[in-house]
Amino acid sequence: MSTVAYITARGLLGRRRVLLLLPLPLLLVGLALICRAYDVDPDQWGQAVVVGLGLAVMLPVISLIIGTGVLGSEVDDGTIVHILTKPLARRDIILAKLLVAAGVSAVTSAIPLFVTGVLADSVRFGLALVVGAVAGAIAYSALFLLLSLVTRRPVLLGLAYILVWEGLLGRFVSGTRVLSIEQYVITIADRIAPTGMLDGKVSVPVAIVMTVIFAIGGTIYAVNRLGSFSVAGETS
Amino acid sequence: MSDAGVIHDIGYQRYEGPRLGRSAVFGAIYQHGLRASFGLGRSAKAKIFPWLVAGIVLLVAVINAAVKAQANIILFDYFSFDDTMSWLVIFFVAIVAPELVSRDMRSGVLPLYFSRPLRAFDYIGAKFVALATAVFLLLGVPQLIMFLGGAFTTDDGAKGVWNEFLDLLPGWGYSLLWAVVFASISLLIASVTGKRAFAAGGIVAFFLMTAPVVGVLSILPSSTAQHLAGLASPMSLLVGVQAWLRGRNDLDLDVGDFGVIYGIEAFCLVFAALLLLLARYRKVASL
Repeated sequence: MSTVAYITARGLLGRRRVLLLLPLPLLLVGLALICRAYDVDPDQWGQAVVVGLGLAVMLPVISLIIGTGVLGSEVDDGTIVHILTKPLARRDIILAKLLVAAGVSAVTSAIPLFVTGVLADSVRFGLALVVGAVAGAIAYSALFLLLSLVTRRPVLLGLAYILVWEGLLGRFVSGTRVLSIEQYVITIADRIAPTGMLDGKVSVPVAIVMTVIFAIGGTIYAVNRLGSFSVAGETS
Repeated sequence: MSDAGVIHDIGYQRYEGPRLGRSAVFGAIYQHGLRASFGLGRSAKAKIFPWLVAGIVLLVAVINAAVKAQANIILFDYFSFDDTMSWLVIFFVAIVAPELVSRDMRSGVLPLYFSRPLRAFDYIGAKFVALATAVFLLLGVPQLIMFLGGAFTTDDGAKGVWNEFLDLLPGWGYSLLWAVVFASISLLIASVTGKRAFAAGGIVAFFLMTAPVVGVLSILPSSTAQHLAGLASPMSLLVGVQAWLRGRNDLDLDVGDFGVIYGIEAFCLVFAALLLLLARYRKVASL
């Protein structure tokens, strides 16, 4: 299991595409620094930077790239066969991949969010964002890992979830927020450090329970899917 | 000389018919690209995502036309329709642009393309025009539906229809602007990688991460920074161009006296993206 995790991490971080993960965190911290340098009131820029860029774009997009990459790229290349034929429980494969995906997503998004939170308000706010980001990274990773097993176009489906479900419908239709991980993250962070910047639209118990359901449910279903995984032919 | 050096004619038939030149290749790539944008001629799976987006946009247009006809409430005019649909346009180019360019790189058929009488310019031009046409259709057809809805419920007879049509034309022009800007940028990003998944993620990440920059710049304590804030993101750049050309100050973005700069940047952005694409394919073509 540790070997699978090691190979996954190397495949993820060892190539040039790891640089794709850098611009978003740098932009987040850079914007926060600009606002601090010009002494703008955090109440004005906090919402746009922390929620608009950090929680609505950076966290889901990074989790999407990583979460669909850990297993999806192996399915695409066909190298998944090598792992599947080893005497390893499918559960261990999923858990190892999920661990790596959630860990890398959490680290890449929590650090810049912490810096931004400290610049915006206080260390407490930064830590609240870290907790929210870690919870969100686990839930997102489980969801996107599952997507890469359910469909051959996981990135597009994940983008549809981020853009259409969380982005477009979440703004206009209140009912979709109950199934939006972004809202859970906002609610959890807001509960830990209440500020005017975050505006949680779901209740705290709902947020926590649904995050756990997304994480565990996604993992169990992914294990189930990998258990009956058949190596398919070419994509259309 | 002896017959040893002769290459024997073993009877293959030569092609004697007309040879179609660059323009025919251009037309073929364009037609194929436009069909591929909407998954025509592909399997049902390839149609799901483009038609999902097209369906939502059409639905919004139909609702808009119906509400306007029944209750005389205007949800969007032709311009704000494009602005409101921006996320769906981003999603659409993230689906289609990798389909057009990343696929060819991934399957390694570029040397086959460029063994034809085809220049890098033709290849890029055809792909670009195809994607721009697809985005324009995505926005223009719903606008036409809104126009039809308005035209059939007008109270002023032919004059009302004509006025509605005069509103539609600049709306189409604005959609064309959207199409050109989004097509050029997304093709450039997609041409970087042969993996469709990464290309799609990169396109969405690029467009989405520019939007908060505008939000931050527009609250800086300097009116120049506020007026120029829209330049940071393609979406607000287009709103700025609209504000400049229509002389409007009541849009979300106040461009002050800098409207011309928005126009210049939009032009330079498209031009630079196409030049970079050209440079990119000069290299690929020689591989």
